[in-house]
Amino acid sequence: MSEHANNGADSTTIKTTPDDHLIAWLAALAITIHIIESVLPSPLPGVKPGLANVITIAVFILYGWRTAVWVSMLRVLVGSILIGTFLSPTFMLSFSGAIASLAVLWLASHLPGDGLGPIGLCLIAAMAHMFGQFYTAYLLFIPHDGLFKLLPLLMTAAVIFGIISGMIVRSMLHHLSKRHGQEK
Amino acid sequence: MTRADYCIVLFAALLLPYLYITQWTGNEAGTTASIINGNNTTQVSLAHDHTLEIAGALGTSVIKIEGGKIRFVSAPCLGKQCIHSGWLQHAGEFAACLPNRISIALLGEAPRFDSINF
Repeated sequence: MSEHANNGADSTTIKTTPDDHLIAWLAALAITIHIIESVLPSPLPGVKPGLANVITIAVFILYGWRTAVWVSMLRVLVGSILIGTFLSPTFMLSFSGAIASLAVLWLASHLPGDGLGPIGLCLIAAMAHMFGQFYTAYLLFIPHDGLFKLLPLLMTAAVIFGIISGMIVRSMLHHLSKRHGQEK
Repeated sequence: MTRADYCIVLFAALLLPYLYITQWTGNEAGTTASIINGNNTTQVSLAHDHTLEIAGALGTSVIKIEGGKIRFVSAPCLGKQCIHSGWLQHAGEFAACLPNRISIALLGEAPRFDSINF
């Protein structure tokens, strides 16, 4: 987001807004979680706690959908470049999952009434993420009906981890609001 | 938790059993077996029980059809992978004896490709 001068006065400086800095910090946080998580062993391909989405959802609740899109897309892009999976099937899956969950979040942001809380948001985003990456896997990589046998297991994992990350987001927001309360 | 949250949780709670039921049961039963022997393919109906003896590259493989299911019973190969595949009954299932160059593929109503890799 920001580019600092490194060779004297004639170098250009891009003006950054506080929003850019916010996005950069949050994306850095999400990327860190994304990379740490990529090292964890997984019982089934596609099953991952998806803790980086905790950041996406928290950002969505605190700063809105647009910021969440930035943070999520930067996480997928930079995370994959750092791990070395950019444009590989892994990247395609996490990219399509991110797109699907952002699409669902966009719909959620237009709900009437109270809308969704952290747990509902995390759960629906996790399920959308799973559907998105599952259909990408089916269309692009394994166009075989046998793949659908995996869907119930994958979706169970998505629901469990979605609820867990929803609880994490809820307690995170709770702590944040308590800290803000003390500062004021 | 808002009311919409409960709706989402309920939706997930209903979706999971639905997925397990639709994806893990009610497989289409195979109606025809396609037996590939070297370069020749023959289609066998699973409607009546009988035993087939097929001469392959190594020797004779015995294939048994019983109650709409089919399996390798004996084979001249070393590994016996084909026999360990057991009964095949759902469309799309497959057993092969590579040394004897004989394989069985079960076909259903709408035969599709087995898999594509690229």
